Amino acid sequence: MTSASMPAGSLQRSRRISTAAGGALTVVLAAAACGSDNGEYEASADGGSLSTYTCEPQNLQPGNNTENCGSRVLQQLFTGLTEVDYETYEAQPAMASDWETEDQVVWTFELSDEYTFHNGDPVTAQTFVDTWNWVVDPDNAQATANFHDKFLGYEDVVNGDAEEMEGVRAVDDYTLEIELVEPFGQLPIVLTYNGFYPMPDVAFEDMDAFQNSPIGNGRYQMDGEWVRDTEINMNRYEEWPGEDPGSPERIEWRIYSDIETAYLDVQAGELDILGEVPPSRIAQVEEDFGDNYSQNESSRFVYIGLPTYQEDWEDVDLRRALSMAMDREEINEQIFEGAMTPAYGILPPILPMSRNDACEYCDFDPEQAAELYEEAGGPSEFTMYTDVGTGHNEYVEAIANQWMANLPIDDITFQSLEFAQYLDLHDSGDVTGPYRLGWLLAYPSAQYAMEPLYTSDAASNYAGYSSEEFDNAIREANFADADDADELYQAAEEQLLEDLPVLPLFFQDYFIVHTDRVDNVYSDLSSYVRVEDVDVLE
Amino acid sequence: MTGYIIRRLLQFIPVLLVATLIVYAMVFLMPGDPIRALAGDRPMSEQVQAQLRDQYNLDDPFLVQYGKYMWGVFTQGDFGTTFQGRPVLDIIRQGLPITLTLAAVAFVFQAVIGTIAGILAAVYKDSFVDRFVQVSLVIVVALPTLAIAFLLQLTFGLNLGWFPIAGTREGFVSYILPGIVLAAVSTGIVARMLRSELIEALQSDYVRTATAKGMKRSRVVTRHGLRNSLIPVVTFLGADLATMLAGTVLVESVFNMQGLGGQVFRSIQAQENTIVVGIVILFVLFYVVVNLIVDLLYAVLDPRIRYD
Repeated sequence: MTSASMPAGSLQRSRRISTAAGGALTVVLAAAACGSDNGEYEASADGGSLSTYTCEPQNLQPGNNTENCGSRVLQQLFTGLTEVDYETYEAQPAMASDWETEDQVVWTFELSDEYTFHNGDPVTAQTFVDTWNWVVDPDNAQATANFHDKFLGYEDVVNGDAEEMEGVRAVDDYTLEIELVEPFGQLPIVLTYNGFYPMPDVAFEDMDAFQNSPIGNGRYQMDGEWVRDTEINMNRYEEWPGEDPGSPERIEWRIYSDIETAYLDVQAGELDILGEVPPSRIAQVEEDFGDNYSQNESSRFVYIGLPTYQEDWEDVDLRRALSMAMDREEINEQIFEGAMTPAYGILPPILPMSRNDACEYCDFDPEQAAELYEEAGGPSEFTMYTDVGTGHNEYVEAIANQWMANLPIDDITFQSLEFAQYLDLHDSGDVTGPYRLGWLLAYPSAQYAMEPLYTSDAASNYAGYSSEEFDNAIREANFADADDADELYQAAEEQLLEDLPVLPLFFQDYFIVHTDRVDNVYSDLSSYVRVEDVDVLE
Repeated sequence: MTGYIIRRLLQFIPVLLVATLIVYAMVFLMPGDPIRALAGDRPMSEQVQAQLRDQYNLDDPFLVQYGKYMWGVFTQGDFGTTFQGRPVLDIIRQGLPITLTLAAVAFVFQAVIGTIAGILAAVYKDSFVDRFVQVSLVIVVALPTLAIAFLLQLTFGLNLGWFPIAGTREGFVSYILPGIVLAAVSTGIVARMLRSELIEALQSDYVRTATAKGMKRSRVVTRHGLRNSLIPVVTFLGADLATMLAGTVLVESVFNMQGLGGQVFRSIQAQENTIVVGIVILFVLFYVVVNLIVDLLYAVLDPRIRYD
């Protein structure tokens, strides 16, 4: 039985929609686990070979990649100090066999001495020191540099006052000490991110050449070069010393520019797995694939933000009124055919401490909303902002229609901008009305779901929200030991849900389709199919 | 003749400068900051953004940026790199064979099928064959290209399994469906154009004379009718080969082929001027050469035309 290796947690996380009248959600065995029921197939003895979808990566440099297409590939090629346990969404040992801290400021990581890069070079504490200093060095312009901003000495390196971060030290070959600027209990889970993967010396000599065939220390090693826009092939690295090596012997990433085409290729059996069924196909996915599909929750949070820095949107009652005038269930049914998880909180349901009913002002209550809106003297016309070309217009317009129907609003105009222009408008503070944006967790921590978006002057705080209470709450949670932090993060979330700088809309679910050849196919919080866990059948 | 060809090729230089300048300006004027968009909704630190802007001369005024780029192209053959450090020449080397193969398959399809359909429709005017050709061509021209693409993918790729749905993994056979899609509209135009030209030619005096002299019907049609009807068709095919490059944007995307058409589209979106202009230089060169060939063909088809 091949489903034995599937984490129990993902059985609850993957759900299927019942097609019975009413469309009630029923929790059944994930479709992913059903393929082996007929007993015809046995898992391939050597692991077998599978092909899976990705889009063209921007790059394959661990320190420079912040997008989906490349990140899910890098996860197979590299192993960080820690990795995510996909059952509990906590950090579990990977290259670091153990770690300890007394004050959440100074951390000591004991490294396993068994890991080597695919070229045979050992991975030591010094490897991490060198890699991180290189990534942070502004001359190298690495996109994940600011993920290191809690390390002592980060500012000095960024400003050119120092060559190396003072807080990252190799005590001996296999002991790494990290000193932070302030206590931060989430460090082990942060270190699961690809921006912290170790890189071999050869990478720093010529990064552009290195990424054509990255040499990592992960479960899989490159087979040949990254054929741009076409494919990336990798074989299992048999010397990988971890406890749970990859199940397939070979993974072939096929690069598509259009997911519609990839969908057809899975139907034709040319491609084994597609983790992102196009929205237009969701209604027919069961008809097309029978049991070979599953619906998976992700951490992608889609929200309607409000520019609280504009006079019009300062009043909290106004924001609460808008929130209560949104019928999230109806939008989910009408626009997405029930394929999303309506959001009644800020923390994604996929995180253990999430309570997706935490929001007091998110339940649909048009009467009270209208009353509040009127009392607060809300504007009778305004503009809503979206980014074009990604199917956002439909639900944004649906929300506008609900607002116009339920609140004393005469007219809502829309401004739809290219993404680059959209971000510019936010950066210059010229957004005058509600806007749409999303957020996907880079690592599964409540901290990352809130701190970069809502703390005063944070980089992605497009709402211009600034609350001393919230800033203090998140600080307190960050300072705490990870085991005690859940309630503190919940308290910070409650503050957000009181103030509503953004109106929660939905958490995006991803549909996976696959061929009969594979089984145990599920995706994680980032919507990445955990390909290393997939069983290839014979 | 040689002098004529050299003169025509020299025209390439001003055409190239004007075309690249316009394209560069259009991409430059697109609103939004490409470096900001590169990072998506996970912003990079200020220092990293500044470093990248400096590296790609993005803070320079427009003409300086353009000048630096063109100087690199003409003096060192340096087409620059993408924002991710990949040489543009590398992209061209990978994409050009794919786009050219696709265009060639489409061209052969529309030339051969279009011509045969046009001749049949003209020779058997008002018969069933004529009606059939006419109706099917109207359908092909009227359907959106995207619809034809999906129809072919579903029918011949998914249901019948005769051709691959997407990609170029299976070699030449992968180019057949996309080639047909790319050629579809023009095939209809070629056939209709040739039909009306040929019908007119077959009614002219010299054809009647040739027939009266007892020449075989097939020889009358090919030697006397067709040769005179082909000039507008060749003009169209030549011009169309150039516009076909625009068609590859859609077709390459739907069939997941990694040619230059899709690349230029993605690069415009990402405001990566180095790639856009690099590829446009190629397209302009291609256009100039194809037009030259068309003009030279006129002389072959019509002996009255001479170039000195």
